[in-house]
Amino acid sequence: MSANEKPMLILRDIHKFYGTNEVLKGVSLEVKRGELVTFVGPSGCGKTTLLRLIGGFTEISSGEIILDGQRINDLPPNLRDTRICFQNYALFPHMTVAENVGYGLKINKWPKDRIKVRVAELLEMVELEAFGDRMIDNLSGGQQQRVAFARALSLEPKVLLLDEPLSNLDANLRLVMREEIRKLQERLHITTVFVTHDQFEAMAISDRLVVMRDGLIEQVGSPIEIYEKPANEFIASFVGYVNFMDGRVESIDGKTRNAVVATEYGDIDIRLEQDNVRNGDEVLMVVRPESVSLSLDSGVERPNVIRGILKSYMYAGSIAKCTVVIGDKKMIIDQYNPRDAQQFLRAARVEIEIPRSVHLLKKRN
Amino acid sequence: MATAELSVKLQAGSGSRVKDFLNANMINILAAFLFLLLAFFLLYPIVAVLIKSLRGPSGFTLEYYRAFFSKNYYYQSLYNTLLLGAVNTVICLVVGFCLAYMTTRGPWLLRKPLKIISLIPLIAPPYLFALSLIILFGRNGLITRALGLQWELYGFIGVVISQTLAFIPLAFMMIESTLMSLNPNLEESAYDMGASEATILRTITIPLLAPGLLKAALLIFVMTIAEFGNAAILGGRTPFLAPDTYTMITGESDFNMGSVLSVVLIAPCIVIFIVHNYLLEGKKFTTIGGKPVASEPRKITPLIKVPFTIITTVAAGAILICFAVVLAASFYKILGVTDRFVFSNYLDFTSNQAIYNSIRVSLVAAVIGATVGVLLAYVIVRGKFFGRSFIEMVSLSGFALPGTVLGIGYLLAFSAPPLKLTGGIMILALNCVFRFLAVGVEAGISKLHQIHIEIEEASADLGASFLTTFRRIVLPIMFPAFIAGFIYTFMTAIVSLSAVVFLVSPGFQLAAVKIFDAAVYGEIGIASATTIKLVLIVMICMMILNYITKKTKIGSSLEKKGVA
Repeated sequence: MSANEKPMLILRDIHKFYGTNEVLKGVSLEVKRGELVTFVGPSGCGKTTLLRLIGGFTEISSGEIILDGQRINDLPPNLRDTRICFQNYALFPHMTVAENVGYGLKINKWPKDRIKVRVAELLEMVELEAFGDRMIDNLSGGQQQRVAFARALSLEPKVLLLDEPLSNLDANLRLVMREEIRKLQERLHITTVFVTHDQFEAMAISDRLVVMRDGLIEQVGSPIEIYEKPANEFIASFVGYVNFMDGRVESIDGKTRNAVVATEYGDIDIRLEQDNVRNGDEVLMVVRPESVSLSLDSGVERPNVIRGILKSYMYAGSIAKCTVVIGDKKMIIDQYNPRDAQQFLRAARVEIEIPRSVHLLKKRN
Repeated sequence: MATAELSVKLQAGSGSRVKDFLNANMINILAAFLFLLLAFFLLYPIVAVLIKSLRGPSGFTLEYYRAFFSKNYYYQSLYNTLLLGAVNTVICLVVGFCLAYMTTRGPWLLRKPLKIISLIPLIAPPYLFALSLIILFGRNGLITRALGLQWELYGFIGVVISQTLAFIPLAFMMIESTLMSLNPNLEESAYDMGASEATILRTITIPLLAPGLLKAALLIFVMTIAEFGNAAILGGRTPFLAPDTYTMITGESDFNMGSVLSVVLIAPCIVIFIVHNYLLEGKKFTTIGGKPVASEPRKITPLIKVPFTIITTVAAGAILICFAVVLAASFYKILGVTDRFVFSNYLDFTSNQAIYNSIRVSLVAAVIGATVGVLLAYVIVRGKFFGRSFIEMVSLSGFALPGTVLGIGYLLAFSAPPLKLTGGIMILALNCVFRFLAVGVEAGISKLHQIHIEIEEASADLGASFLTTFRRIVLPIMFPAFIAGFIYTFMTAIVSLSAVVFLVSPGFQLAAVKIFDAAVYGEIGIASATTIKLVLIVMICMMILNYITKKTKIGSSLEKKGVA
C-alpha cells in the first residue's frame, strides 16, 4: 500500500461519555486523502462532538484517533495538524482581516515577510484581496465565512474541519458558498470533514456521507448510495421523503436478478440490485415520490401499475405535488414537468407505476 | 405616547375635556412628579453639600478649599484614598479574574463551589471583614497572640485587605459576565491555530475583555474610595477621606470642611462616571450569534494553573475564614480573651433594638424604593418627553455616589424647617431609597424592554384609559421587577453604613451603625452577633429573591410563548 492510499484519518471505536451520558457509542471510520466526508444527522446525534474530538477540543473517553499514521489521542488542539472552522466563524473582532488570517502563522513564528506573502495569497484565494485592512465587523456574513476559511487553511492542515459553516448565511448565499468550498477543496485536494444537519447540503457537497443517529454511525456511503440504497427506514426518510410499501419477496431469478414482490395491491416486478434479500423475506419497498410515474386511469391492466384516487393535486409550475389514496394508504408523488395539469386537476381516478429499480429494506423481526 | 393618542381618539366622544387631557398626558404628569422627587431627594442634597463647601459666614468663599489644599494632613488623606482605590482595584481585578477564569474555564467540579464562595461576601455587610481581621490580627487577635507578634493591623494594610475581600464579589460578577459573553470558539480557534494557553490569554482573552475589565475597574475604584466602614474601623492613624468626613461632622461639627471633603470625594466619581458612560460607550466587541455555551474545561498549563489556583484558594479560604471567625466570635464576649461560651451577645437589648429599627427603616425604604423604581423605569422606557435620558442618568447615579455625600447632604437639606426630617425613620428610609434606586430602575427597564408596546396599545385600542392600562396590563407585568427592587433595596439598606451613620439619632440606632460603634469600642462579641443576625436576614432575602426569580423565569417563558 503506497503512502497515498493510506487513509488520512482513522477513527477507531470512539466512545465519549459526558458523565454517565454516552454521546458516542463506538464510532469507527476511515477518511481518505483529499476526500470530503460529511457527518450528517439530526441534532443531538453526536456529529459535532465527533468533530470536536477530532480537533482535540474534547477528550475522548476511549478509542483511537489516527491522523496520517500518527496516534493523536492525547495531543491538544494546538499540536494537532487539524484546523477547524466554527459555525460562528470565531473571527477575532479586535484584529483586521489580514491579522486574523495571519494569526496562526504568527503563532508558529513565521518571519514577517513570509506571513505577508502567504496572507496575500490566501486572501486572493478567497477573493478578498482588497479587504486585508478591514475590521471583522465591517464584513458581510459571506465575507466573514471566507476569512474564516482562509484562516483555517493558512497552515495547510492535514484535515480541515468544518462545523456547519454555512448555517449562518441566507439561503442563496449558502448555495454559492457551498459550491465555492467544494471547488476550493477539490483544487487544494485537502482532506475535509464537514458537519451539517442539512441532508441536501450534505448530499450536494460530499464524496461520502456519514449518517449518524444517537451516537452511532447508521450508514457510510456516497450520496447516491445513501439516497438510492439506504440501509434502513431512518436513513431512507432522513435524506428525503419516502413512501414505504409492505411486501414479501415471492421469487428471485438468480441469473437476471429479476424478482417479484407481493403487496396487498398485487405483485410488483423489480430488478434486484442488492444481495441482502432472500426469497420469502418480509420487506419494505422504498418508493421515492419522484420515481413514481402518475397517469390518468387507462383502464388497462399493466404490470407494476396500481390504481388509486387522486386526493390532491398541487400544481406549482415545474412540479406538481400529488397525494394518491390507495385503499387505506396514502402515497405522495412528485410529478416533474407536469404537462397535463388541467386534466389531472379534474381527474378522480389515476394509476401509478412503481419503478423496477425500487430498493428493498429487510424488515427486522 | 401612541398609547395615549389612541385612547384620546377612542374616547373623544365620551369623556370630559379635563379627563381627556389627563389621560393623554398622564405619563408626562407622572414623569414631572418623579422628577420633582429626584430633584428634591437626590439633586438638592448634593447641591446643598456643594453650596455649604463654598459659603462661609460672609457669603461665597473658596477659603475652605484653600484650607484643604494647603494642609498636609488632607493631602495625605487624599493620597491615601486614591492609593487605596488603585491598589484595591488592581488586587480585586486580579483575584476576580482568576476566580472568574476558574469558574468559566476550569474543571467542572470546581466551578460551582468557587462561584458560591466568590459571591458569599454579598450577604455580609462589607465591614464584616474589618471585624474579622480585628478578631484575627488585632492587638488582642487570635493569631497575633498565638504567634506572639507585634504587628500593626490598623492602617493602610488592614484597610486594603478588608476592602479587597469585600469587593471580590463585585469584581468577580462583572468579570465573570464578560467572560461568559465571550464566545468560547474564539479561544478555541486560537488554540486550534497553535497558540498555547498563555498566548491565548495574552492575544485573545484579555484584549477582548479589556473594555469590560476597564468598566469593572472604574466601578470598583469609585466604590472603594467611597466605602466608609472598613477605613473607619481599621484606618487607625492613617487618614482616609470618607472617615475624615465623618470625624469632621460628628467630632468637630465643621460642616463646611466636611462638605469640602465630600466634594473632593465626588470629583473622581464624576470623572469616572463620564468616562464610563461616554468614552466606553459602544466599545464592545460584537461577534456573530450562536448560543452562549459554557466553555469545556481545558488542560490548563501549570504556568497558569499554579498561580491561578494559589490566588483563588487564598481568596476563597480568606472569605470562608472571615465568616467562620465572626460566627465563632459571636459566641464569646471577646473571642480569644474570654473563653466562656455565651449566648448573651445575641440577647443584647440595644443590638436587637437596632436590628428592629433597621428592619423597619429598610422595609419602608423597600416599599418606596421599589414603587418609585418601577414608575421611573416606566417613564424612562415609554416616555417620549424631553430630558428622559437625564432622568435615567440621575436615577442610576445614586449608587456611584459616595454615601458620605448623601449623608451630609441629607443633614444639610432636611435638618431645618420647612422640611425637618432629621431624627426620624423617614430621613433614613428616604436616604436609602434614593441611594439604591438604580437596581429597581434597572430591573424595571429590562423587564419593560421584554414587553412590546403593542400589548399596551392593544389595551388602549380596546378602549382602556391610561390608568386602566397601567393597572391591568403594566403593573402585573412589572410585578417581578417590583419584587426585585423591593428585596434588593431592603438587602442593601439594612447593611449600608456610610450615609446613615450621619443620620442616626441617639434615640434611633441602626444595626449597621451599632456594629460600627461596637467594633470601634472593642465590643467584639456584640459586633459579631449583630453582624451574624444581619447576615441571616440578608440570606433569607436572597432565598426569597432566588425563589421569585425562578418563578418568574417560568412566567417570562410563558410570556414569550403566549403573550409576546
